[in-house]
Amino acid sequence: MTFARASYRTVVVGAGIVGLFTAYHLARAGGGPVLVVDRGFLSSGSSGRNGGGVRQQWETRATVRLAREAVQAYRHFGREFGFNIWFRQTGYLFLAENEAELARLRSVHELVASEGLDSRVLDADGVARLVDGIAPGAAIGGTYLASDGTLYPFPAVWGVYEAARSLGVEIAFGVDALGVSVENGRVAGLVTSKGPVATPTVVNAAGGWSGDFSRRSGLEVPNVATRHEILATESTKPFLDPMVVRVSDGLYFSQSMRGEIIGGLSLPHRPGTAAGQGSSPAFLTAMARALVDLIPRLGALEVLRAWSGFYDDTPDGFPVIGEDPRLPGFVHGNGFGGHGFMLAPATSKRIALAALGQSTDLDPAQFSPARFLGSTRPATTERLQLG
Amino acid sequence: MGTPDRRFSFRGRSYPVQDGETVLSALARERLPLLHRSIQYHRPQGPFCGIGHCTGCLVRVNGRPNVRACRYEPNAGDSVTTENAWPSAGFDVGATIGFLTPGGVDSLHGLRRPAFATSLFQRMVRRLAGTGKPPTEAAARALVAPALEHTTDVLVIGAGAAGRAVVAALIARGVRPLVLERVARPPPLAGADLLSGTSAVFLPSPVPIGDRRFTLLAFREPAQGIRVLARSVVIATGSYDASLLFDGNDRPGVLTADAAFALAPPPRRPPFRRAVVVGGGHRSAQFLEAYGDHVEAVVAPGEIRPEVVRVANEHAVLLYPRSLLLAARGRRYVRSVRLRARGGGVETHVACDAVVLAHRRIPHAQLFFQAGAAMRWRVGVAAYGPTVAPNGATSVPGLFAVGSAAGPTPSEADHAETVADAVLQGTSAPAPVPNAAPEETPTELLGYYRELLRTPGHRRWIACPCVDVLLSEVEKASRAGYRGIEVMKRYTSLGTGICQGRYCLPDALLVLSLLEGRPPTDVGYITQRPPVVPTPLAALAALPTSPATEVIP
Repeated sequence: MTFARASYRTVVVGAGIVGLFTAYHLARAGGGPVLVVDRGFLSSGSSGRNGGGVRQQWETRATVRLAREAVQAYRHFGREFGFNIWFRQTGYLFLAENEAELARLRSVHELVASEGLDSRVLDADGVARLVDGIAPGAAIGGTYLASDGTLYPFPAVWGVYEAARSLGVEIAFGVDALGVSVENGRVAGLVTSKGPVATPTVVNAAGGWSGDFSRRSGLEVPNVATRHEILATESTKPFLDPMVVRVSDGLYFSQSMRGEIIGGLSLPHRPGTAAGQGSSPAFLTAMARALVDLIPRLGALEVLRAWSGFYDDTPDGFPVIGEDPRLPGFVHGNGFGGHGFMLAPATSKRIALAALGQSTDLDPAQFSPARFLGSTRPATTERLQLG
Repeated sequence: MGTPDRRFSFRGRSYPVQDGETVLSALARERLPLLHRSIQYHRPQGPFCGIGHCTGCLVRVNGRPNVRACRYEPNAGDSVTTENAWPSAGFDVGATIGFLTPGGVDSLHGLRRPAFATSLFQRMVRRLAGTGKPPTEAAARALVAPALEHTTDVLVIGAGAAGRAVVAALIARGVRPLVLERVARPPPLAGADLLSGTSAVFLPSPVPIGDRRFTLLAFREPAQGIRVLARSVVIATGSYDASLLFDGNDRPGVLTADAAFALAPPPRRPPFRRAVVVGGGHRSAQFLEAYGDHVEAVVAPGEIRPEVVRVANEHAVLLYPRSLLLAARGRRYVRSVRLRARGGGVETHVACDAVVLAHRRIPHAQLFFQAGAAMRWRVGVAAYGPTVAPNGATSVPGLFAVGSAAGPTPSEADHAETVADAVLQGTSAPAPVPNAAPEETPTELLGYYRELLRTPGHRRWIACPCVDVLLSEVEKASRAGYRGIEVMKRYTSLGTGICQGRYCLPDALLVLSLLEGRPPTDVGYITQRPPVVPTPLAALAALPTSPATEVIP
């Protein structure tokens, strides 16, 4: 028998940070028994493949508020979960190469500052003080928020994994979710590669595979998986504090606690999960060129490894949180566009509420799955999908 | 030989260097130097692999960090310094971290409290982490070189015996192959384009670009980026001497047979006087043939083969078959080893000044994994190798394997001819590949480690020397339910250092198999991520980038 029980109150698809956090909150709220299934091993998806950035600089107020809540949660993670995630609040620096980009960053700054966060607009000298060895003229300015930062993703996953398990959540790996079974127009169970389980509620927290899983369940959704590549260099003593993000091409990088430069760059990959989570020569050369042009001395650092993961993108840049109006019992917790990890402590609480059939404080026009069903265009979009 | 005034500076002294000598061979004329301290506990580490993969000889050269002294041929006036050690690699204050934390530093659970000290802890840990200081801009500028693009019908990776035989057969058939060889000064290859000092680092699954199927990224020392488009690729990357788990397995004086052969090719005198050789097979016999006068004893996990016994007797070498190597002892350098007969018995100490590992050769198989070739578990070495047909074909059309990278292959004299014919015929149809490999005797090592893991005191042994992962951390994680090599890598950082798991993984697979009670093949394998050899950003940055609009498959 693959699963301990024949039926569960809730089954979560995806044991990444979002699925685990959601299961944890469900169990704490008495919503058990909870089963989490995952197609791979612990941290085999994007939760184990991201750059660890956590930022509060966004283009919409709703995202800024979720991010601010997530930062507070990650600050106290060690106390609550017993794992040291090395959350280092040494800032996020957005770089502008021209006036148009700087104007865009200024408007981000005004929004972020209006939420009480200590965002700053920097000129070229201010940028150079934060990025030791930056090439002259590489940026005309930027914005910086010191309370943004980076964390080490793995222990965050271990911490929530162990906490969820100690609350009785059952977590099964190597189990592919093939779709839901439907009775009387609502979810009755989950069909898996290891057999069926009965449940009235399925949470789709499958990250890059959530579009695939919704479609396998008969629900057309606009989620698109896009592969993003990343690399890590050898480690040296610290010389860079903030996460650096360039607006023009999505270049981002930071120096980890261990001293590696870890970062990526947006490139046009063929959409979909079929190509797998591999690397390409095109990325290695483009990323190396971008890093060396920006900070020439990095040329003498060696790349140790490169890998990739999926972003789960939506048309308006907002995640999808809530029950699908077409199929009662099917709850979305996906569409995070590469920022699921940084927002997870805040978003997963709302996903858990939605799975319990309770209302959340999220504006349905921005977050609910229903927003893609009408013919109207979304009212707002979140376009700062970088780093 | 060499200009007499070519000298480099190290520790305030100036050293003469001859043509073809590396920093390490110039410093190791008498004995192996102590150049490096480990990243976390600042244990003294010695030159270990000798072929440019491990952390044991990393030095700073003219402002460039983490230069492998075993591969770097110094120029006149170079300034070589040690890194990650203060005041020197011989006496390093940082080693107190190891004394103060006998159970190891638990960075997953520790240093969380008090909350107000978080940023202090972080600054402290960051300061201590990291191998060398960051590079200087001048060091980076000195590496800038124009990239090289090469289009060829046949690319051969590796110019060892097997690679050369195929190259000769190809030339005889009117083909001029491009040959990449990692060694700086291989013998010349008339009729082929030979790039020496060149490491192949990334061979993705082939995608057709015109009639060239394969794209390979490589770089030539120190940092010339190379991109090759090829119709067929023959991988002849060979194999390497593996590590072994015991107390002090990366201490100065412990080295692989590869390192000895690279540092002191016979008849040059090796940098040791009385070595203990580990291994009872062919590699051990080879080592004794070359350095028998400088060998004290042979220790083997299993039986010692007659070819070894014969050479050992010529040099009055002591033999310890079926023995556990428990520890290499000595304050900094190895002074003795501690042994015990398998199945119980008294402990023996053998005085020595080196421990040479020659017990297991593992194929350099990373490029096969990357290219998507079907792999098989080889019980003889307990490692993965490609599935290979009698004509050298792998499961990837156009990709061939020869020599010890391919595993035990047909030894007929005309094997290279057969492979060359197959390469020229091309392999348009991806046929399922029959397994041509002869049966292998299963390795002794699984039983060896089963016994070793029961010995007291093994918890402080180092499971991953590059990033200082203790065996106890692996055991603890396994007990906590973190199963499989992929999860273990992420949980403990094992295999994420400079060598990318080349030396720790083969042993870790066996240890996890024992801890988890399932065969090594069920423990999984770590994805072979590019680049397979650490590659300077300068080399990759010099390569032409694709148009920004080109969709990447």
